[in-house]
Amino acid sequence: MTDAPLLPLFILLTSLLASPVLFALPERAARLRTAINLGMAGVKLALVAWLSLKVAQGVIYDLRFEVLPGLEFKLQADPLAILFIALSAVLWLITTVYSVGYLEHGPHRARFFGFFSLCVAATVGIAMSGNLFTFLLFYELLTLATYPLVIHRGNAEALRAGRIYLIYTLAGGLVLLLGTLGLWVLAGTTDFVPGGVLADVVAQNPRAAQALFVVLIGALGVKAALVPFHAWLPIAMVAPAPVSALLHAVAVVKAGAFGIMRVVYEVFGIETAQALGVTAPLAMLAAVTILYGSLRAITQDDIKKRLAYSTVSQVSYITLGVALASPIAAVGALAHLIHQGLMKITMFMAAGNLAEGLGVKRVSQMDGVGRAMPGTMLAFTLAALAMIGLPPLAGFVSKWYLAQGGLAAGQAWVIALLLGSSLLNAIYFLPMLHRAWFRDAAPEGAGAPGRPRIGWMLAAPPVTTAVLVLVAGGFANAPFSPLEWTRFIVAIEYQE
Amino acid sequence: MSLFPFLTAFGLPMVLALSLTVPQGRALVWRMIPFAPLPALALALLAELPLNAQADWLILGLHLGLNDVSRLFVIFTGLLWCAAGASARHWMRDDPRATSFGVMFLLAQTGNLGLLLAQDALSFYAFFALMSFASYGLVLHNREAQAQGAARLYISFVILGELALFAGLALGAAQAGSFLLADLRGTELPDMAVSLLIVGFGVKLGIMPLHFWLPPAHGAAPVPASAVLSGAMIKAGLFGMMAVLPLGNVAYADHGTVLMAAGMVTIFAALLLGVQQSNPKATLGYSSVSQMGIMALGLGAGLMVPAAWAAILPVLVFLAAHHALAKGALFLGTGAFAAQSGFAGKLAVTLALLLPACVLAGVPASSGSLGKEALKAALAAGSSVWLPWLRVALTLSGVATTLLMARYVALLWLHPPKTPHPITPEGVLLPFLALAAASLGLPLVWPLLAQTLASPILEGASGAFWPVALGGALASGVAVYAYAQRIGPALFVSHLTAPFRAFGARVGSIMTARRRAARRLGHAVPKALGSTATSWRLGQTAIAGLIALTLTVEMRASLHLEAAIPPAPQQGQPSSQAP
Repeated sequence: MTDAPLLPLFILLTSLLASPVLFALPERAARLRTAINLGMAGVKLALVAWLSLKVAQGVIYDLRFEVLPGLEFKLQADPLAILFIALSAVLWLITTVYSVGYLEHGPHRARFFGFFSLCVAATVGIAMSGNLFTFLLFYELLTLATYPLVIHRGNAEALRAGRIYLIYTLAGGLVLLLGTLGLWVLAGTTDFVPGGVLADVVAQNPRAAQALFVVLIGALGVKAALVPFHAWLPIAMVAPAPVSALLHAVAVVKAGAFGIMRVVYEVFGIETAQALGVTAPLAMLAAVTILYGSLRAITQDDIKKRLAYSTVSQVSYITLGVALASPIAAVGALAHLIHQGLMKITMFMAAGNLAEGLGVKRVSQMDGVGRAMPGTMLAFTLAALAMIGLPPLAGFVSKWYLAQGGLAAGQAWVIALLLGSSLLNAIYFLPMLHRAWFRDAAPEGAGAPGRPRIGWMLAAPPVTTAVLVLVAGGFANAPFSPLEWTRFIVAIEYQE
Repeated sequence: MSLFPFLTAFGLPMVLALSLTVPQGRALVWRMIPFAPLPALALALLAELPLNAQADWLILGLHLGLNDVSRLFVIFTGLLWCAAGASARHWMRDDPRATSFGVMFLLAQTGNLGLLLAQDALSFYAFFALMSFASYGLVLHNREAQAQGAARLYISFVILGELALFAGLALGAAQAGSFLLADLRGTELPDMAVSLLIVGFGVKLGIMPLHFWLPPAHGAAPVPASAVLSGAMIKAGLFGMMAVLPLGNVAYADHGTVLMAAGMVTIFAALLLGVQQSNPKATLGYSSVSQMGIMALGLGAGLMVPAAWAAILPVLVFLAAHHALAKGALFLGTGAFAAQSGFAGKLAVTLALLLPACVLAGVPASSGSLGKEALKAALAAGSSVWLPWLRVALTLSGVATTLLMARYVALLWLHPPKTPHPITPEGVLLPFLALAAASLGLPLVWPLLAQTLASPILEGASGAFWPVALGGALASGVAVYAYAQRIGPALFVSHLTAPFRAFGARVGSIMTARRRAARRLGHAVPKALGSTATSWRLGQTAIAGLIALTLTVEMRASLHLEAAIPPAPQQGQPSSQAP
């Protein structure tokens, strides 16, 4: 039925195989390293495009290797996986360009790009995992691959942040292992199946099913930065800008959010989960996280820290949309997986450019930076306005669907929550825009005259992703837009 | 119908805004700014109605269109943006932040024109947000402390309005099952949605208690920006309510009551607040608030009694056009006043400013008077309980507006607005005069433009003169009183009597002069007579004559005497026979 059944494996291998090669390359071989990086990212993008077309035609890819009797290593490429892979493929290419520019003369580039590649491989693996066991493997790989990136700078602050990051995520991983075992014991399988595998268990033993849900969501909630497991994320922002960008947009927090989707839709099944009464508490938890993250963001003066708390808030939109148990809200949640990635990566790369080009790292230093770096700040502005939820930008589309979904599910409080969140977003983003565009640079300040020199490899990526933010919202109804694709997925998950 | 004309209608200003960021093209773009609304104007004036176009792949399905009502909004809005653009070109020529102003001005224009063409809730919201957020840069433009405060207040209210609007549209769309504005208008929206929409649009319209941002913002923005803020952009709130609320289909008695009550309070409270201002543009801002109170009366009446809406709608559109042109003219005129350096020029501009001021106050046969009378007539179809109050309020609003206009003109001279740098007076004078003329000519042109929608205006009576006269009298009285208070009553009385005393003194001096002249004459006459007499020997002649006369008289007397006594010896002889 498929002409290239190993396609998902190839996609995984593009970044997985690139990694050892990059480790082995000598530090001086910058050109070759860049060529391999960009080449592999390009190949992967092409393969993902091919895969998407196939999946859109209804082809389902399914690869299994039996590890132990009854325990399979399973890769699958369903529409939900494609959503995440496509995001990671596009953003990997962009972030690679940005990283090459960012670390142009920095130390340990071989190590950095090796782990960077491994990190992306883990993300792709998470996306294509066909069961919770495989998911767990890649989830742990992701933790181990991102740790060296977080501590890349090697100073005391970075090491401390790395330690905290490791404690949180390894603990989460252990709990996930527990949950995986629990699922295997209860259901006899760990496969992801639309509609879930736990319908019988829920009927017979609802307490156990509830406990399993709490364990799994707790484990995944660490990476998804749900309150109270979010503390590592703002600390980990000491990482270099491209790492923060990738962590916040694609890799770590999204892995958590994606895992929550898989668990709710394909381990429990949305109807089963709803019957079990676990979706409403999850929605409340997401709501609390959304407000808490935004409230904390307001008082942060460090730009990256403010963005990090904003991520805590924004990623929970995804969880909220899943937990609302309405197909329309689910469209919003899935679309937000992409939209939030595009918006947040733009902002982190812009923040990196401000630090590189002007030495601006704090909000209070941002006076007049719009005039000094118009392209970067225009990108930042678009992303910030999208976060607030202004149409026709991407963030608006997610919010609109979440609001409509909340109303369809009879949960009108969602509207109030979205309003509160938008208000808080406006409160912490608009002052940054005001400073950047409407204040004159302090004569002695960081944004003082003298055109900053940042290469095109730093300048172009945020502008590109900002254009994508505009396109994803402005052409939301066009074929192959994130929104259209999520509608396709939701039709499957809700088995319509 | 193709999308192209619509895209050019709001696309031209957007493209100009983008090209303004390129330094090489700036001079050319500034030349073109006054013409940016022309595609929209052409579309509104020339297209066959109704006009619809859609692009399913844009946003969540973009629907654009033009109908009888939105067409009229596009016409007066476009005209105002043209005039403001022409004024801005000169106003901003030497401004160091001209580029920033130009970009924001054009983006706000894109939003303003776009929202009039939008037929679905999402693109409407998008254009509305673009307009509101871009205007932040206009309000903040001069970066002074006052502008900073005004801008902060402005953006806070914008966010409040946007949030209310988002929630209202989301609730409405969920209820209607569609996000087309036409479907929203035809659905019985939940009360909550209607409340949120009223708040969202009410912020833009400046209905109390949502007006706090408006006067400071209109006062702080540069003149061309205040003109469009007050003339064009606040009408977006009115247009939004007309476009989204199910007016004429569903009755919302409570909302109607609230809106009408708020409108009544707004009309008169804005007067009380407006006359306390010391910035002439802030006074104009309060006048806008007051005028939008009139709109709120109409909207409230329509919400309360759907059957009345068909009559009210065309009147509100007319009033919107009327206010846009008159208020735009007043704001641009304020700039023209400031640009004049000499006394004569200032006086001439003031006299010209009196025209739109009178139109706004509602001098009979002006658009203000026609509109208000038509609204009174239209409201007759509405709630009969409210009708007398509405009539009184509408009539007295003429007094209020006259007072505000008087205060404005007084402030122009007491606290003359300043220009940031010298400005060519002609450049800002022409757009002002054009708008003032348009405002005067509106009643004549309206039947041609609005066709069937103009009938309430044509059939309506022209209002009475007395509210304006009363307002004028009150204003003069207040001015006199204020003057008396300022300089002290005793001095005032002495000032008051000064003309009389001066007159008295004048008369006295004239009298003295006359007396002196008479005395001189008195001295001169005998002398002159004497000399003449001497030359004619009059004296002697007169004495001789006198002697002769005396003699004659004496002789006649003695003759009569002789005749009266008869002589005894000579009996029977008559005296007449004597010699």
